[in-house]
Formats: sequence, C-alpha cells, structure tokens
Amino acid sequence: MIERPTFSPFWHRVRTLRPRLRPHVQITRQHFRGRRWHVAHDPASNHFYRLNPVAHDFVASLDGRRSIDEAWKLSLAKFADRAPTQNEIIELLGQLHGSNLLSLDAPPDVEQMLTRSGERRKKKIKQQLIGLMYFRLRLFNPDRIVTALEPFFRPLINRVGLALWAMLIVAGLAAVAPRWGELSASLSGVTNPEAWGWIAVAFVLLKAWHELGHGVICKRYGGAVPEAGVMMLVLLPAPYVDASACWAFDSRWKRIAVGAGGMIFELGAAAVAAMVWAALPQGDPARDVCFYLMLMAGVSTVLFNANPLMRFDGYYILSDLLEVPNLMPRSMEMMKHLFKRYVYRLPNQRPPAGLRAEWWLLVVYGVLSLAYRVFLFLVIALYLLGFFFVVGVILALWTAVAWFVLPMGAFAHWLAASGELSERRGRAILTSAALAAAAVVLVGLVPIPDYRRGTGVVESLAESGVFTGAEGFVVEAFKRPGDPVRAGEVIVRLESPELEANQRAASAQLAGVLARLGEARLQDDPATAAGLEREERYWRQVLADLGDKRQRLAVRSPHDGVVAGLDPMRLVGAYLTRGKPVCGVVDPARLRVAATMSQAEASWLYGLSAEELRVTMRAVSDPWRPIEGAHVRAVPAAQKRLSHAALGFGGGGNVETAPNDPEGVVTRREQFTVYVEADGPALAGATPGERVRLRFSLPAKPLLEQVVDRIHRTIQGRVDL
Amino acid sequence: MSQALTRYQSLFDSVRSRARRPEALRGLDKLAATAAMRLRNRRVTPAWLRRQAELIDALGPAMRGHSEAALADRLATRVDRGRADEATVRGALAAVREAARRETGQEAFVVQLMGALALYHGRIVEMLTGEGKTLTGSLAAPLIAWRHRHLHVFTVNDYLAARDASSRAGIYRRCGLSVGSIQQEQDPGTRAGIYARPIVYGTPKQIVADWLRDQLRLGPIRSAWAGRPLLAGDGAPAALVPGLRAALVDEADAVLIDEGVVPLIIARSRKADEQGQMYKDAAALAARLVQRQDFTIDAVRRTATLTARGRERLGPMFDDLADPIWRARRRAEELVRQALSAAYCYANGRQYQVVDGRVQIVDEYTGRILPDRNWEHGLHQAIEAKEGVEVTADRETMARLSFQRFFKSYPFLAGMTGTAADATAEMERTYQRRVLVIPTNRPIARRALPTRIFRSAEARWAAAADAVEAMHKAGRPVLAGTRSIEASEILSRRLWAKGLTHKVLNANFDKDEAEIISRAGLGAGTGHGPAITVATNMAGRGTDIELDDAARAAGGLHVILTEMHGAKRIDRQFIGRAGRQGDPGSCQLLLSLEDELVRLNAPRGAAVLRAMARAEELRGRLLHAARALMRLAQRRSERRDRASRAQVLKQDEWVDKHIPGM
Repeated sequence: MIERPTFSPFWHRVRTLRPRLRPHVQITRQHFRGRRWHVAHDPASNHFYRLNPVAHDFVASLDGRRSIDEAWKLSLAKFADRAPTQNEIIELLGQLHGSNLLSLDAPPDVEQMLTRSGERRKKKIKQQLIGLMYFRLRLFNPDRIVTALEPFFRPLINRVGLALWAMLIVAGLAAVAPRWGELSASLSGVTNPEAWGWIAVAFVLLKAWHELGHGVICKRYGGAVPEAGVMMLVLLPAPYVDASACWAFDSRWKRIAVGAGGMIFELGAAAVAAMVWAALPQGDPARDVCFYLMLMAGVSTVLFNANPLMRFDGYYILSDLLEVPNLMPRSMEMMKHLFKRYVYRLPNQRPPAGLRAEWWLLVVYGVLSLAYRVFLFLVIALYLLGFFFVVGVILALWTAVAWFVLPMGAFAHWLAASGELSERRGRAILTSAALAAAAVVLVGLVPIPDYRRGTGVVESLAESGVFTGAEGFVVEAFKRPGDPVRAGEVIVRLESPELEANQRAASAQLAGVLARLGEARLQDDPATAAGLEREERYWRQVLADLGDKRQRLAVRSPHDGVVAGLDPMRLVGAYLTRGKPVCGVVDPARLRVAATMSQAEASWLYGLSAEELRVTMRAVSDPWRPIEGAHVRAVPAAQKRLSHAALGFGGGGNVETAPNDPEGVVTRREQFTVYVEADGPALAGATPGERVRLRFSLPAKPLLEQVVDRIHRTIQGRVDL
Repeated sequence: MSQALTRYQSLFDSVRSRARRPEALRGLDKLAATAAMRLRNRRVTPAWLRRQAELIDALGPAMRGHSEAALADRLATRVDRGRADEATVRGALAAVREAARRETGQEAFVVQLMGALALYHGRIVEMLTGEGKTLTGSLAAPLIAWRHRHLHVFTVNDYLAARDASSRAGIYRRCGLSVGSIQQEQDPGTRAGIYARPIVYGTPKQIVADWLRDQLRLGPIRSAWAGRPLLAGDGAPAALVPGLRAALVDEADAVLIDEGVVPLIIARSRKADEQGQMYKDAAALAARLVQRQDFTIDAVRRTATLTARGRERLGPMFDDLADPIWRARRRAEELVRQALSAAYCYANGRQYQVVDGRVQIVDEYTGRILPDRNWEHGLHQAIEAKEGVEVTADRETMARLSFQRFFKSYPFLAGMTGTAADATAEMERTYQRRVLVIPTNRPIARRALPTRIFRSAEARWAAAADAVEAMHKAGRPVLAGTRSIEASEILSRRLWAKGLTHKVLNANFDKDEAEIISRAGLGAGTGHGPAITVATNMAGRGTDIELDDAARAAGGLHVILTEMHGAKRIDRQFIGRAGRQGDPGSCQLLLSLEDELVRLNAPRGAAVLRAMARAEELRGRLLHAARALMRLAQRRSERRDRASRAQVLKQDEWVDKHIPGM
C-alpha cells in the first residue's frame, strides 16, 4: 500500500500565494490509453509539463486571485481522495515554477531567477559533456525558412500525399529490384576511401532534407520550429531541428506525422534517386551520387531514425503509437522500481506505470534499450578505435564514463547514502555485492565460445595459366570465370588479319614457285628446278607454320577444370601479343582458401594446435551454406603483398592497401597468410577467386578475457605502425 | 529625521540578513569549502592560542596597576570593525579581563583566555563542565560586540539569560556596551528596545520567534527599498530584530546539533474547526483494531501501517459513521493510522505529559516540557482524543524555521559547549565552523566505576536505588540521571520506599530548579544528610554544582546514569557534572536490556542476550557483549539522527530553491 500523507510541513510557504499560469501558456488535451492528460506548453521557452485531470483542475483553478490554500480546498471538495495532497501540490508548483510556467503575484525574485537560469545553463553544459558522442551545436532559428517552404508542401501533407508517397516508394523499389545484383556489387565498392567524400556529402544533404521534413510537417500542424543546428553523431555532423512543439499537438497521429516526417522525406528522395540510378548508364558520375543517396537513406533509416531503442525519430513514433509518453525515462524508472521492490524489497514503492499493459511495455522496452545501449557502445568503441585511434580511445573512455561509470557512481551513492534504504542498508549492500559477484563470475569466469572472423579468397592448388599462342585481336570469348571447361575446348578465339595476309601472300608465292617449277621441268632445266624445289619447300614450310599459328589463334584449355582468375570476356576486341595471360584453369577438386591477417590477429592462431582450431566458412555468393574447414595452416612469414586483390580495400576486402599501388595488392602493414583446406568436395561449389567469410572457433574463454583480448589486439594493430 | 534614518538602517540590515540564503554544498563544492575553511583557520591552533593567552596573562600585573580612569581609557581604545592586529586584540582582552576581575572578583585563567580568544576567532569551543564557560563568554562578548556591532548571546533558558545578562552587565558597562535579555513575558515595545542594544541575551526560541514574526510582518520583500512603505506606518519599528550579525551560542551542541532541525513554528488556531468528534471517532476505531493482525507499528519512525485485513475490517466501520470525512477512504485511513501511532508510539511521561487537562510536548533530548508547542497535522489532536482530554483546534502553521538555518544566517558564529568534540564533523559540515578543545585548568579527578547491565528494567531500578542508598550512607551527594520524566518518577518512588529524602527535577525550568541543582553537591546542611537529586539529563544545565567541604571530604559527587541516551555527547555532558575543576567525584552507568535505546536500535541483539542471561545482572563475557551492544545501539541512533537531520536540511533547501515565496 502506498501512503500519501495529506499534510506537508512546508504548506505555509505556499498557502498564501496567488499564482496563475503565465498568460501565454497553452494547454492542450491529449489522450493516452484512454486516459485524459493536459499538456501545458510555453511556446516562448519551449517548456512542457504534463498534468493529469485532477492536477489540471487544480492548476486551472489558480486564477491569480485565489490562494493555493483555497484552491486546494476546492479540489478536496471536488475530488475527495483523488485530490492532490499538500506534498503533491508543492511538488507540482515547484516543477511548474521551475519550468517558468507559473507567474506569481509577488514581485519576481530576480536573484532566484538568475540562480535558476545559471543552474539550467550549467546543467545543459553538463549534459553536452556527458553526451559527447551526440554533441549538439545550436546554429540558427529556421522558423522563417520553414514558414516560407511550408505552403509548397501543404497540398501534399494529407492522406492523398501519403498515398502518393507510398506509390513513389513502390516505384523506386520496382526500378531497383531487377538490378539487385548490380546494386549489391556496387556495395562492395563503398569501403573504397575514394567514395567516402561522396558519401559524406550525400549524408549531409540528405539529412538537411530530412530535417526539413520534420520542420515542414510540424509547421503544417501549427507548431513552431525555433532551433536548428548541427549534432555530432559519433563524429559525423548531422543537422537537426527542434520540432518539440509537436508534443503539444492534441492528436497523436499529427505527432507521429511530425516524427515520421524526416523519414518520409528522406525515403522519398531515396526513391527518386533509385529511379535516376536505374535510368542512367553505367559510369556516369551522377549515377554514383544517386547510389550513395539510396545507400545513406536506407542505412541511416534502419540504424538510427527508425530505431526506437535510441532517442531518434523512431523512439518518438513508437512512444506515440504505444501511447506511452516519456517511454525511455519511465522505463528506466520502471527498472529501478523493479529493482527496489524485488531485489532490495523496499516497502512503499510506487510503480511508474498505472496499467498492467503499460507496466509490461515499460519492462520490455527497458530491457531492450539497456541491452542495445551496451551493444551500441561496444560497436562504436571498436569502430572508432579501428579508424581514429587516439580520438577513438578518448571518446570510448568518455562514453564509458558517461554511460556506465557515472550511473554506477550514482548507484553507489544511493546505496551508501539514500534515506530510502536507511533501515535496509546492510541487506541492500549484501544483495548488491552478491549481484556484483555473480556478474563477475559470469563475465570473468564462465567460459563462453569465442569466435574470430576473417576474410579469405578461394584459390586452387592445381592452377594453370592459359596464354595466347599467337598475336591477334580477340574476336570471341566463350567462357567466364567459374565456367567448367574440358581439355582442348576453346576459351577465346583471336583473329589476325596480318596472319591471313601473310598466308595469302605465301600461297601466292607458292603458286608462283609451283608455276615456275612446272615450266622448268618442261624445259628440262634441272638446275633451275632444283632451286625452285627448295623454294617450294620453303614456302610450304612457311604456310605450314602460318597454319599452325592460325590454329593457335583459338586459345584452348590445357586440361579439364574451371575457368578462374581474369575474365576472358573483358579481352574481346583487344589485341594481344603472343604469351599474354588470358585466364586460369583450375582443378575444382583441389581448392583451398587463403586468408590474410595482421600480425596481432594471427598471433592467437599460432598458440593453438590444429585440433583446437575449427573453422567455418561461408562463401559470399552463397552465405547460407556453411563449409566446415580442416587443416588450418598459418604461414609464419610476414609479407606486404596480398595473394589476391579481392582482399584489399580496392577489391572490396578489408585489408588496408597502399594507395599508390595500382594493382591494389601491396599492403600498408605486414600481413600473414593462413591457408584453410576443406575435407573432400566441400569446397567444390566455390569458385576460385571468390571471397569467403571465415569464422574461427577458439576454445571457450570467459567473456572478460575475450573483450580484453580484442581491445589488446586492436590497440596492438595500431601501435606497431 | 535621524530616527527615520535609524529605522531605515535597521530595516536595511534586517532585509539584508534575510536575503542571505544559507545553502548546503554538495559533492566537490563541499570538499572545496571545507578545505578553504581549514585553510582560513589554519593560524588559530591550540599552540598559537596558548602563546597568545600567555602573552595576555603577562599583561595582567600592568593592568592591575591601572587606576579606574586609566582602565576606562584602555577600554575606550577598542577593537573596532575591520581587522585588528594581534597586539591590539591582546591588549583589549587583557583590559576586559581586568574589568571582569574588578567587577566580579574572578580572574580568568590562561585556558579561559584561550577560550575567549578562540571564540573571538569564530570557533566552537569545547570546555568541560565547570571550567568557567560563563566567564570565558563574557570576556569574548565585548570583543565580538565591538567588532560586529550587535551580538546575540544564546542561553539554554530564560532564567540563565536574565541571570547572565545582569551578572555580566557591570563588565559590559565598563566596556561601554549596554546589555539586555529577552524574556518570555516582554511586550514587543520592550523587546525592540533590548534588541537595539549591542549585546542581547536570550534563548534561541525567543529570538527565532521574533525573527519569524518579523518575517511574517515584512512579507516577501527582498530589498529595503521595496519595504519602505512599512516605515511610513504607525511608528512601530519595521523589524524587531535588526539584522543578524554575530551569535555566541552557549551549549552549542544542544542548540546547533540536537535541536538544530527542530523547527520553530509560528502557528495560529484555525477558526471554525470543530473536528474534535472526528479525532475521538478515530481513536475509538483504532481501539477496535488488533496489533499485528490489523496493523503493524514501526517504533523507530513512530508510524503505523494497516494490513490488508485491517483495511478490510475498517470498511464497514467507516460506513457506520455519519461524518462525510469517513467516506474519503484515504483520508479516513490516515486518521486511523494517526490514532494508532498516537496510541502505540506516544506515551504519557515520555513524549508528552498531560498537565492540567492539556497535552504538553516533552523534549526527548532534554526531558523538559516544551510549553505552547503542538504537534502538527492532527497528531496533537489524536493524542488529546486518546487521553480523553478536550480536543483543541488544529493549528495552522504561519511560518517555520529550523534553528540550523537560522544560525547559518549569521555571518559570525561562535559557540561554547561541554561536549562538542563528538560532533566535530557535523559542526564543520553544517556550519563551516571548526571545533577546538580547550584543555582543563586542572586534571580531572573523576573515577568511572564499571558499567553494570541488567536483564530487566525492574532489576536496574532496584540496583539504582541500592546504589543511591549506599553512596548516601557513605556521606556523598548523589545525582541520578534519567532519560524521561516517567523514569524519574519510577526511581523517585523507589527512593521514597527506602525512606530516602530527595529532590526530583523534571518539570519546567525556573529559578527553583537552578537552586536545587546548585545544592545537589551539598554533603551536609540539607537536613537529611547528603543531597540526593533525581533529574532528567538536561536539568540544571548551565548551573554549576559546587561541593561543600563535607561532600568533598566524603569523595565528592557521585553521578548515576540510569539509561544511555541517543547520543554519547549527552551522556558525557551528564557525567561531567561530577569531578569538575579537579574536584573528586565518580560516576557509574546502570543500564538494562529493556532500555529504549537497545529496544529500538538493536532489538534482536538485546533479545538474544536477555535469553542467554542466567542472573538478573549480567557478568563476564555476557557483560562485555552487552556493553558492546549498547555502544552499537548508541552509534546507530546517532547515525539515524544525523541522517534525519541531513534529510530535513535537504528538504528545506529543496523548498527554498523550487518554491517561490518566502
């Protein structure tokens, strides 16, 4: 049972006050899960306060003439038990006053006001510092821009507009769908550093458009857009606008529309980009830009905007859809409440949710968002460490402090000094210690399977090169990489006009020699005839040679196998001199995978025996079919040359290559090579030259050791430059 | 014209003092402030003070040689506002010391000079009982008054305020300072005259009440300019208390710490509030409920909680009552809970006393009756209904202020006490004042007899009575301390049964009481042998117990403490009454495992020991365990009180910060 004492010892301080809401404060009605709420909104300061009907009735009765005491008695007469208690009223007044929503009959206390605004500023700075990963920089007031642009969009901000938008999205998808393969092929080019500049430009443009979406829709429904600026999203600048005026909208669908406005605009732009991309010919630079627009819109929508576990658009949309306002803070409250109630067994705890359904929502959301927060932290930290080492370390530490150390400190303080715990402190400390011990055991002692990932390329143990036997123009190619060939089968056919001309000339010469030989035989001139016979033999020889050469214009496979390596098709039309490589032919029964690893990555491999090390491989082309690897062999010599360009940055791999190497096989740091073979025909379906994702299963280790190991590896990989 | 200026000046001062918002610092700010305070005060060390005091002492003969006129001349070159160099301060203090000697015949010892100097430097000074705190204070007072213009000297009660103000007036007159004391019965006009004097004696209660009344009258004005319409009024002074400048607090630990968070409340009776029947109904309902089945009692917090069964049973009971208040379920249950806590957590003789058909609150630290104080929000009425006396109207709070916040408003604060060392940390934290222990003039000759612990309270009272009798037969005066009025009556009955004539001190403070306590040290001349006095712990504080020759010869005063208090300081204070000024004396603690202290703070431990005890008196290892348990219980109680004080302060600050208005 929750006790709500009626009286407060501080009542005398407020009872004679005659406050009223500031004249410009607007109150709108909202419904959440069938319950009525009233939102007080001060457009000047953009402060909000949500009141339940009873509190609203009390606040509404404050007209500047009635004292708090009188208003309270009115409320008591009206609502009896449901009326707010004195303590609740004092808290309510304090919060309204703190949000500057209340005006008092007393002359304003300037000193207090200054102190309060100073404190608010300090708090803001503190928040900025804590959230360094999401640093906000306020730039200007976009209200005029939004007001000017809003009429252009107004005819579309309705159901018809939504339907049109849906059609646009469908059209965009339809344009892309048939060329999906090409799309995913381009995707591998994204890791190429040259593309990053374009991606950044696309990102900023797209996000500006996105924010315009929020602003315009907010304006359409009558909200002001008082602030715009730049937010540093994990070191990536992204524009933002303050559309919080929508929180005062009466209809939740309007609030959802404002929340979704950004994504609606952004995805619309992506759909247009998709259609342009499909229409333009390959190689057009505009086409690349369109591709990046599509990519950024898709990725950022999935990762950030639509994701309800972080405080972006999706969160607010979800919060309105579920009709649970303040979802995140209240779910955190809920977690605390559950902890206090069931772990520490504190009495007289009031849950932050009234209804059962809401209760569950808060719990589920709380657990998910906590888990996501940990996950995101690890991902971002590792990502940053990988790319910007020093900045990454600082940011990671900072975030760790803000997200984990500060809350732990607050918790410790609560444990040590909270008045709530006073009678149960000993037990609470024991419980916490036990929980902490359990966590340590779980993280530090219980072994968990450990995996390492890598990328490799399929290569063959029996590979022969196919070379041109004669010079000529390639007129036809019959095979592509991966195609099976039999011995003697033609792979490319060349033509050589010079050869044909030579042949014709030689035939003509031979015909001339034969004619003259017949004449000499008729005249019975044996000396001349003998010379001409020699000549005839010579020309015959020449012709035979030329015929032989002509035969060799058809390049044939030396043995049965599969075409691998270079694509013969790309040679069509080219002039090749003799002895140029055309492609390779490999024996598909004898394939292996070569992977490249940095020194730090490879170091854990050497410590293990062959039995301990298990590898699972998945071909990029067919990721659903795992291939069990056997016989892992690491070559204990570092080299700065990749076995395949496909492993390097330029080929879509993840090994950093030297920028001045046109072939893209010279690495910046020394690399080790690891060969993996499969038992039997497991690799048979794979194509040589194809990329393969490797997953090494290491002996199980406690989580803590794994994490430390990984951080160590990342740092080591950076330091030995 | 000049009168108007003076009034404006006093209003200005008053408003300025009010504008100071004492705020407790947190976290790093707190550490920094404490460090800064230590740095500022680093010079005033005991060694430094002793050197200075010896230098002053050396000036003594020269001072004694001065004629009256020359001395008056010396006293005219006084320490004025602003900083004074050490030599000037030494000269001034030496002159004041000489003035005090000529006026009262007492010459201050070096340790008293040390104390006076420490007070002048704004310290909380610990001087053991009987070391001459009154003289020390009266040496420091002129110096402080010279420098800060107005000095408020706080005493424990009106009697001491009047006594000290008149007995010290001569010294202050020689220093060119007038003095007055604020008494309960004075009217505002008289008070205004006294407040205008440079040195004002009074109890915290009186002065804080006047300050609060000013506050109500001034309303929420924050500048003297805004308050100027008040000056155009009927000629009564705008503010009674003209600003807070300097405070010298006697018994600083009791006033600043123990009573620090007890708020002083100005209240008025509600009009047309005929709710007596409601409280009587609530008491009747409460009487029908069964403990542990219908409700549980939290004896430490003094609250009752209804169980599900209790709430179910109450439903039909509420329906039977006519008053619509019982229809509002939550309020109705609140009334019943209040009636339950009145019935089970508040006892006549402990927390309150029924005097002449009225419920009067008893201060649990001091065992004194606090007249004209009421519990708030219906608790007082609930107790009245329980006792069957007339239910008074609930009173409405007009203004309230805790002593703690009041004293923090003084720019200069110094204090004297017998036992501040135990509260050093809290003094530093709350008031930013350092505590300084002044050595005794002569070594302490008090013997502490081993503590005895009994299984039941019954056995303890029997042993206490026997102990009193034994000492009495040995010709020694005995002072027996109890924790509550109820307990002092129990002991008194036992003593009468033994035919021992004694005095009991537990009622309100007045002159008689001071007389009784000052005679508690007599070994003869009382008519029935050595004196026996039974007193609640604070009784007679501020009055010395002087031994006569008979008592001294028999071994001095013997103090028996029959129960440990919530804080060790209070025990020390009481024990300190024996063996003052190097006199002989002894003390002993007689405790039981049924005492309130262990019952509330270590109930399980006490139960185990009670079960293990074979005899009524604990011996051997069990006795050691019981002593440890008592200490543990006391520490817990101290810790809880400390936490609750911090909590009150925090609440005060929250309201200050977030609620507009006064």
